[in-house]
Amino acid sequence: MLLPVAVLLPLGVATLLLVCAHLLPSRVSTMAAIVTALTVAAICVLLARAALAGPLVHWFGGWTPATSGRPDVVLGISLMADPASAAVAAFTCLMFAASFVFAWGYFDEVHSHFEVLMLLFLAALVGFCLTHDMFNLFVWFELMSVAAFALTAYPLGKSSLEGAFNFTITNALGSFMMLAGVGLLYARTGTLDFTTMARVVTAHGADPVLSGGFCLVAAALLTKGAIVPFHLWLSDAHAVAPSPVSVIFSGIMVSAALFVLAKIAMQIFAHDPPVMALVRNLLLWLGLATAIVGGAMAYAQRHLKRLLAFSTIAHLGIMLTAVSAASPRGMAALLLYMFGHGLVKGTLFMLAGVLLALRASADEIVLYRKGRDLLPAGIAMTFAGLMLGGLPVGLMHQATDILDELSPAMMTAAIVASALTGAAVLRAAARIFFGVSGAPGPEMTAPTERERERDERPLWLMLLPCAALLAMALAQGAAIDRFIGFAAPRLIDPAADASAPVAAHSSPTSYLPIALTLVLALLSAVRRRPVRPFPRSLVRLELFPFRALRFLHSGLVADYVAWMIVGFAILAGMLSWS
Amino acid sequence: MTAPWRLVLLAAALIVLVPSVWHVAAALPPFGHPSAQYGPAINAILPAARHVTNMVAAVNFDVRGFDTLGEECMLVCAVTGAVVLLRGARGERDEARAGHVPGRAVLARSDATVLVCRITATLTLLFGVYMALHGTVTPGGGFQGGVVAASSFMLLYLGEGYRAWRRIIRGRAMDALEGGGAFLFAVAAAVPLVIGRPALTNVLPFGQLKDLFSGGLMVVVNFCIFLSVTGSFGLLLLEFMEETRSPAEDSVPDEADR
Amino acid sequence: MSIFPWLVPAWLFAIGIYGIVTSRHYVHLIGCLTVCQSATYVLLLSIGYAWGAGPPIFYDHPPSTPAVDPVMQALVLTDIVVGAAVTALLLVIAIQVHKRRGTLDPQRLRPLRPDQ
Repeated sequence: MLLPVAVLLPLGVATLLLVCAHLLPSRVSTMAAIVTALTVAAICVLLARAALAGPLVHWFGGWTPATSGRPDVVLGISLMADPASAAVAAFTCLMFAASFVFAWGYFDEVHSHFEVLMLLFLAALVGFCLTHDMFNLFVWFELMSVAAFALTAYPLGKSSLEGAFNFTITNALGSFMMLAGVGLLYARTGTLDFTTMARVVTAHGADPVLSGGFCLVAAALLTKGAIVPFHLWLSDAHAVAPSPVSVIFSGIMVSAALFVLAKIAMQIFAHDPPVMALVRNLLLWLGLATAIVGGAMAYAQRHLKRLLAFSTIAHLGIMLTAVSAASPRGMAALLLYMFGHGLVKGTLFMLAGVLLALRASADEIVLYRKGRDLLPAGIAMTFAGLMLGGLPVGLMHQATDILDELSPAMMTAAIVASALTGAAVLRAAARIFFGVSGAPGPEMTAPTERERERDERPLWLMLLPCAALLAMALAQGAAIDRFIGFAAPRLIDPAADASAPVAAHSSPTSYLPIALTLVLALLSAVRRRPVRPFPRSLVRLELFPFRALRFLHSGLVADYVAWMIVGFAILAGMLSWS
Repeated sequence: MTAPWRLVLLAAALIVLVPSVWHVAAALPPFGHPSAQYGPAINAILPAARHVTNMVAAVNFDVRGFDTLGEECMLVCAVTGAVVLLRGARGERDEARAGHVPGRAVLARSDATVLVCRITATLTLLFGVYMALHGTVTPGGGFQGGVVAASSFMLLYLGEGYRAWRRIIRGRAMDALEGGGAFLFAVAAAVPLVIGRPALTNVLPFGQLKDLFSGGLMVVVNFCIFLSVTGSFGLLLLEFMEETRSPAEDSVPDEADR
Repeated sequence: MSIFPWLVPAWLFAIGIYGIVTSRHYVHLIGCLTVCQSATYVLLLSIGYAWGAGPPIFYDHPPSTPAVDPVMQALVLTDIVVGAAVTALLLVIAIQVHKRRGTLDPQRLRPLRPDQ
């Protein structure tokens, strides 16, 4: 069975590279890492195709449910591949392969330790998507987190270390909450396996212990998935991590957390009324709030990576609204959005890395007109910004169309987030590559710092993965529709045999995001510094909400933890009162 | 946010949480009367199925061995990360001189310290190995034994002094132990796949109950974990101790210079 | 009143959070994180505990003697390893921050704001 190989292979290669760290030249370890990532991607694609006929299960150690001799007691751990999980795992490996190609020659000093950390990260993400056991989920969540902490702090600059510290403290608290949640779920259901737990939860119905357990696990996954008010760590961490690593963070790590939240909510708690009420109501509003806060903060940034980090937060809000739909169409929108957004965001972070390497800065105001001779990068960034802003082609647009039909709140979230983030990226691209800029608005006083990355890689090698990812984000077609249509209902119930309609009818509202994006970008390009008193007071009024938001995003870990507990109280409060 | 407002926010959140926590605590199974059947099933089935007497080890190395593989790799990952972060600033010179804080006297180690440390370090190492080898029969196992064995390295430093200690404990050896242990664990998990059984199946003979080498593949997994944990904590100890040497030569890269 | 054993982990977690929020030193903060973690140990072990049952080691007793839940103990063992790993990484970050900033006060260390 290929299923355990998808996790065991990267673990084995990573530990072998660690043993041979000093013996191998660094190019060999990078090649080995790329080959491993592509091999696991191929394995996951095969698994996804095979899973269309029925979910693939693998019981470790041969400890199948029959070996316990008791009903509802499952002794072993299983991996289960349904088409959606295998597709997400394959997508993960693809992003890693692109990141390895982009990082060629970046981490020469550390003798393949970078490849070791990244391959362990890859194994953890694949295990996270494919596992069917609660505690095994926690183990892969931890491995994913630890690898991310170490990789974030790698540049060893002041901001990287402090950003990594904030990241570690908040996410470690999240993982303690997840462990407590797993304990509570075990106390009530007596099992850690998803299928058996679902059976027991359906039999029990509403129960405070089950609600408490779900609340804790959801708080942890919402922390990793950067939803308001658990989101404060992400802007610090993604902005200071090395660019190849930020590609993975924004491209797949954070959206995988929301994917698994959807999986747990739908597969285990589908017949638990208070939990499903929480998912359908609170998660929708949290997603909308996240989209608005993330979009507004992204618009008011000048440091490119911090801008992209906030735009990731905004789009994660949209993904959470798709999760809250709790239906096959919602899951289809989630999958399409994950893939589309991951590809586009990965491209953008790579382009930020190109600017850091070749122009020694990531600040769009400092870089004004400095990218004029990097035209291919400029075109790529403009195109990616348009796609973020709702260009009517490709995976992201198809997902947005589905969301528009599902609920007006989702449509609002999608429009606001797309417009603000797309306009921010277009504004940055216009400033850096085309020399077109108005007077700086709220982004002038945003936090920023000087930094650079190694520049020994040729431009074409850095742009190659960008072009590949962007081309994949444009994918559209009947084959994708068919696959997602099969995968989405099987995410909710692996034994289902229905198919969800994925093609959405294009309505005039689907052009609203791109129109708004272009309007905002145009406004920022023609903006002039106000001289007369009335426009000046308007500008001061405009600055006020951005200043308030920036005050809340203070960079202090104590604030972050306080907001996390507030968020947890909101979740618990909603569950208690329903 | 200023400190008082932060505390007000935190207090408000905790107050809102109190009724929910009380609600959940009241609904949990009464303390001391667990309703879960998973544990009793393990206690009933495993001694006969695998001929081991330590149920925690049976759960860790056999029934839920895949979790342990992930956790082992997580330890490897954390130590690798720590090494990258410390060596990245310090460089990889293998310096054998202890650091010296200017103005502080360097006292010679007394003979009593050296003697006691030599005896206790040996005994601690032996005890760690003993605890690891008997993992499947008595309390203990690879993790606990590995940590005890690694702590004997600290006693060795106290007794021998920095230079002699560095000659005994080598960074490359710790690296190989750590990575090698985890790699062998991954291989042991993959070997049953080659013969057509599910991964991590216990394919070795189980031995006799209460015997030292009972449990089949558990013995191998236990030993791999012992090697890996010893290597990991030894490497951590090494890297932290390296931070104490030669502070004047430390090069701290500034953003403008890189 | 069998509710009190379940309130102990909640109290430990709350105290740890209070310590983190009011901390003025990175190493103290890391210690408070460890307190939060020990709350999870206590919770898990309490879930597995059974009155009148012994440890799940059958060397001196026959295998059918009542024993506590070994699965919870295995989970706590994994949790301890996780805690050790994360603490080591945090301490390394603290060492490097101290070298660059000279201070370990969380109230004065903010990423991407070099002059504040």
